[in-house]
Amino acid sequence: MRRLLTYQGVEVWRHTKIIQWTLQVVSGILVVVLVAWFFTNIVTAVQEREIPHGWGFLDREYQTPIGHTFIPYESSDSFSYALGAAVVNTVVVSIVGVILATMLGIFIGVARLSSNWLVSHLAMVYIEFFRNVPLLVQLFFWFYIILALPPVREGYVIGGGLFINNGGFSLPFPNATGAGPAAVWAVLAAGGLAAGYAAFRLLTAREVHTGQKSYPLMGGVGTAIAIGAIAWIIVSLAAGDAPYGISSPEPQGRFGRIVGGFTAPAGLIVLLVGLVTYTASFIAEIVRAGIQSVRRGQIEASRALGLSPMETLRYVTFPQSLRVIIPPLISQCLNLTKNSSLAGAIGYSDLTNVAKTMTQTAPSVSIFLLIMVAYLAMSLTYSLIGNLYNRHIRFTGG
Amino acid sequence: MMAAAPQPAPGQRLPPPRSQVGISGWMRENLFSTRYNALLTVISAAIIVLALVYGLRWVIAGADWSVIAVLGGQLVIGQYNTEGACPGQNCFWRPQVALMLVSALFGMAWGMGGGEVAKRIGIGVVVLLALFAFLPYSFERMGMDVRLLLAANIPALLAGWAVARYVGMTMRGMVIYIAAAFIVTVILLRGLPGIPGLQPVLVIYWGGLTLNLLLAVVGIGASLPIGIALALGRRSNLPLVKLLCVVFIEVFRGVPLITLLFMSQVLVPLAFPEDFNTNSLLRAGIVITLFSSAYMAENIRGGLQALHPGQAEAARALGLPGWQTTLLISLPQAIRNVIPAIVGQFIALFKDTSLVYIIGMLDVVEFSRAFIQGNTEYLSSAKEVFIFLALVFWIFTYTMSYVSGKVEEHLGVGQR
Repeated sequence: MRRLLTYQGVEVWRHTKIIQWTLQVVSGILVVVLVAWFFTNIVTAVQEREIPHGWGFLDREYQTPIGHTFIPYESSDSFSYALGAAVVNTVVVSIVGVILATMLGIFIGVARLSSNWLVSHLAMVYIEFFRNVPLLVQLFFWFYIILALPPVREGYVIGGGLFINNGGFSLPFPNATGAGPAAVWAVLAAGGLAAGYAAFRLLTAREVHTGQKSYPLMGGVGTAIAIGAIAWIIVSLAAGDAPYGISSPEPQGRFGRIVGGFTAPAGLIVLLVGLVTYTASFIAEIVRAGIQSVRRGQIEASRALGLSPMETLRYVTFPQSLRVIIPPLISQCLNLTKNSSLAGAIGYSDLTNVAKTMTQTAPSVSIFLLIMVAYLAMSLTYSLIGNLYNRHIRFTGG
Repeated sequence: MMAAAPQPAPGQRLPPPRSQVGISGWMRENLFSTRYNALLTVISAAIIVLALVYGLRWVIAGADWSVIAVLGGQLVIGQYNTEGACPGQNCFWRPQVALMLVSALFGMAWGMGGGEVAKRIGIGVVVLLALFAFLPYSFERMGMDVRLLLAANIPALLAGWAVARYVGMTMRGMVIYIAAAFIVTVILLRGLPGIPGLQPVLVIYWGGLTLNLLLAVVGIGASLPIGIALALGRRSNLPLVKLLCVVFIEVFRGVPLITLLFMSQVLVPLAFPEDFNTNSLLRAGIVITLFSSAYMAENIRGGLQALHPGQAEAARALGLPGWQTTLLISLPQAIRNVIPAIVGQFIALFKDTSLVYIIGMLDVVEFSRAFIQGNTEYLSSAKEVFIFLALVFWIFTYTMSYVSGKVEEHLGVGQR
């Protein structure tokens, strides 16, 4: 039992515990009063100035076009569906951005530690520049670069399939010829991937236990491809047609609208390029610090065992550095997601941008509550995934 | 009989082989140590050469920098001196005097014996101002010779240096000066009704780099103490205080700043009574400060956590009361440990001041974008504008991280 914290006697006004509790109660009351005051003010304002409120708008038709969505969207869709489409946009940007930024960041972080003077200083210049300039300035820079590209009709066509112009990038994309066969093949291919992974694990275990070369990577990939190909042939024979065809982009009309294939609009390209190059500079510093945190003895020991510098990095240094890298990496992924809200400045329809437009025809308070919840949910999901992975790789004392 | 290899005399030290010293030795060691390394060197050298050739060719011959000259002093003050903001008179001198107060501050830091760093920064400021002063500005737009006013910063800096050097300046004097300079700046920018020459200027006309710097200074000054308070609150053993701090920190960290700024635009007028006077600048300042202090709190909490508990225990054992233990023992060490993170947050805050575009304020970035949008003849030189802005921001942020590195060195972080 800890002694009551007293300070020169136990008078009430000097009794630490009592002071602490008084402070707590006072601050609690203050916060409650403040929140209540704001709330009543908002309610009064909403009633007096006849500001729209409530949640009824969610089922109404949004009746406003959205620049670009990953899921099909029509102006006649409801507010709730439009918000959902905007969330999907932000989530796709965030996931693609996080994957690309992590890859680029690891590459630059490793380059920063290269023993080659030129390579490490090139990486340093990259980091110092991209990290220290506001993302907004970088986004505008990329935006005006893309804007300077020729229009669709005069745009570049690379290899007959990749269209590059000021409307964005278009490339061929597989599209399903029929819903049934495509779904069947997708399920079978997913099964093939699972089987491939299982084969990889089995062969790895065998190699570890017996010491015989078992080629786990080749075996796993081969299994997956073989199952996918067999499924493709069977589905094609059964349905009389291949499950997926290739849809190529075709410029149409006088002003050159591109039809078919997959078109990434200019705003999306600018946003991704800006976010990835910016976030990669932070991730590179995290990777560098992580690799440097591995004790020198580990590297020396692995070199003494005959591992090449590349193998040392792959099997010894990098796995150990992950423990230091993962927590700050998660917060960078969160930052990327939050920074994607700058999309509005360059005309891409992310969650914040769509919500901002919505406040003109729907109650702003409700919309803000919704997007706050959406962003908080994304943050929590990232933290959860990161923490689970972190638990998976931390020292277990074995 | 074989000729014996020349043996060094006992005690004689031979120089290292030629292949290990000098430029060729350095190159062998750092660039061509292995075949793979040599390949990397060749590839990176090719990248550098290509970037330099094409980059320099574009910068000198391809790029059209006249747009920077046209924007001129407006990059620094935005719309402040337009007819709408300041009818019938020239108001350029007001932000300019504010800038001179800052220059004098740099001079004082240098003159106080801030050491090599303060000296370098002082000289850097002089050189930069001189450079800017001799860029070809468009005078018609500004109405007064901007060069003269920019060049006036150099004597201001020297005056600050002289005061500190010959009159004497203490740390307390500096703090008082900073507070006074801040108040004078705000009065100068706002103006005082009824005083000739100090006609009030609405905050919607404030803009340019002045706005970024003002928001950054306010944010940095306020977010550190608030962040410290939040960090202490989060570690406190009072459950209610802890809960409030955790909720505040997590909510502000979980939502993008741009969303918060836009919310402040829409919600704050609702949350306060109608006659409550809030302007957009004040709202932006408060939101940026609160947002930044949530991140600051987490940095400082990291520093407090890294601190050995023995420090606080020893302080308590010596009889220091709790608040003194925190203020004099724990906090100084915790902050020292996380200086890079804190300065990183300052830099992030400075960069984030460019987000005020969402509430319609014309900071230096938004002003330039709006200018390009409004004058389509400059559309083709938009790249030049944003490269220039990148450079301006980079100078500020790089200086901040340079100073932080030096401060760390001075405090001996990582050596004790």
